[in-house]
Amino acid sequence: MKNISELTDFYYKVLYPDLQHLEQQRKALKKKITQAALGLTFVLLLIMGFLLSYNMPVEVFVFVGLGYISIGGFLYKYMTKEYTFDFKQKIIEPLIHAIDEQLSYSAQAYVPRHVFEHSDLFTSRIDRFRGNDYIQGKIDGIPIEFSDLHVEKKERTQKRQEYWHTIFRGLFIASEFNKKFHGKTVVLPDRAQNTFGDMLGHWLQSNNLHRDALVKMDSPEFEKEFVVYSTDQIEARYILSHSLMQRILNFKHKSKHPLYVSFIANRIYLAIYYDKDLFEPSVFHSLLEYKIAMEYIQTLHLAVGIIEELKLNKKLWSKQ
Amino acid sequence: MSTPLVIFIIIVLLLILMYNSLISKKNQVENIFGSVDAMLKKRYDLIPNLVASVNKYMEHEKSLLQEVTQLRAQANKPNISEHETIALDAKMSSALGSIMIAVENYPELKANENIMHLQATLNEIEEQISAARRAYNQAVTEYNNTIEMIPTNFMANAMKYTRKEVFEIPQAQRENIKVKELLNA
Repeated sequence: MKNISELTDFYYKVLYPDLQHLEQQRKALKKKITQAALGLTFVLLLIMGFLLSYNMPVEVFVFVGLGYISIGGFLYKYMTKEYTFDFKQKIIEPLIHAIDEQLSYSAQAYVPRHVFEHSDLFTSRIDRFRGNDYIQGKIDGIPIEFSDLHVEKKERTQKRQEYWHTIFRGLFIASEFNKKFHGKTVVLPDRAQNTFGDMLGHWLQSNNLHRDALVKMDSPEFEKEFVVYSTDQIEARYILSHSLMQRILNFKHKSKHPLYVSFIANRIYLAIYYDKDLFEPSVFHSLLEYKIAMEYIQTLHLAVGIIEELKLNKKLWSKQ
Repeated sequence: MSTPLVIFIIIVLLLILMYNSLISKKNQVENIFGSVDAMLKKRYDLIPNLVASVNKYMEHEKSLLQEVTQLRAQANKPNISEHETIALDAKMSSALGSIMIAVENYPELKANENIMHLQATLNEIEEQISAARRAYNQAVTEYNNTIEMIPTNFMANAMKYTRKEVFEIPQAQRENIKVKELLNA
């Protein structure tokens, strides 16, 4: 697998002609979007002024405001459609193949819902399941698949208004684990202990009705970041050896976002909560900017890199 | 309801909770100890095969092999205490570690398929034992905390609960494991 600096080279050298072409497309698009936004805002102000003079109730203003936001969102999506398509085909796909030729990419597909549900990382009811940028293949003989996911459920406010609540939004990775096991072990970010302190947090965690028994790990650093639930106290420790705990910690620090990991039926699932759609082209910043480029490269490298990072390719004898 | 009655009921409830928590912690320790024991037995069962396979080659390590055989005999005695089990495990782990390092000095042993298989099985069991030890240590720590902390310590005293021992992983053994890892890498 290529490292980050090799990929950066690839981005700026091999992809440069396409980047330049896309950059022109982006500039034209930015202008068009700014014009459209100004026009739409002008219309909004006109309507608001009209409503004000008629002393309309507040609900009408809220309605108009929501209409403004949804029309704006729709327009933005419509206008950037072609640019997004070109970007994914000319930049993201070659980047993925540069990382490993055996990986396949599909801009529209995503990790299937049953895989996400099987991971048991999020126990809420799911009402809407969307995603894109599906990457799948084998690294070092280990199967891996990942994609962007946006998982939501429908909620109601006290005034019985419906809204979408995000359960998970970010990168979801599924792969094979290198040890054999029978139970289920789930590693979640430790919110309770950080918010309520050790004693109360621990008590809350051990009484989580959605989860199996709490497993207290013997690494203070790991315990501070994560909380572990498992069907089997011994198996949880068999899976989470000291070295794997350290590697998961390193991975968490690298990704800089909340990390969820589960081990079920000899598979490992990772969910990184970025809270945004990844691998989307930037419209208001240049694609040639180093920071923007690094975001694409690092995220891809991070996802594909878990096999090496967590040493999933080092199989134990029992699995050979 | 009168106030004294309410206070009485609360006290009884608290006592029941304390009693139950002590019992469940003790049972958890015993339960996990059972698993540790089962895995240690699995490892002891490999010893005769291991000794038989390396015996021919290892001239200089005869005493080591004898030690391992003796330890196994001791561990197989009926009714050994938790304390003895823990002590035997520590000795066994370090002796097996030394044998595995010694194997590296004999090219014909290293290439032997039977030995390779044994080594792999032993590594796997070693990992499982290590996990079980860690689970046991955690259960014992929780148990020890409960019997020493106020207010459960009074009840633990009355129930004659005493501190339990954890598996200590001696420094020497940790180094052995590291050497093994290096050689395997």
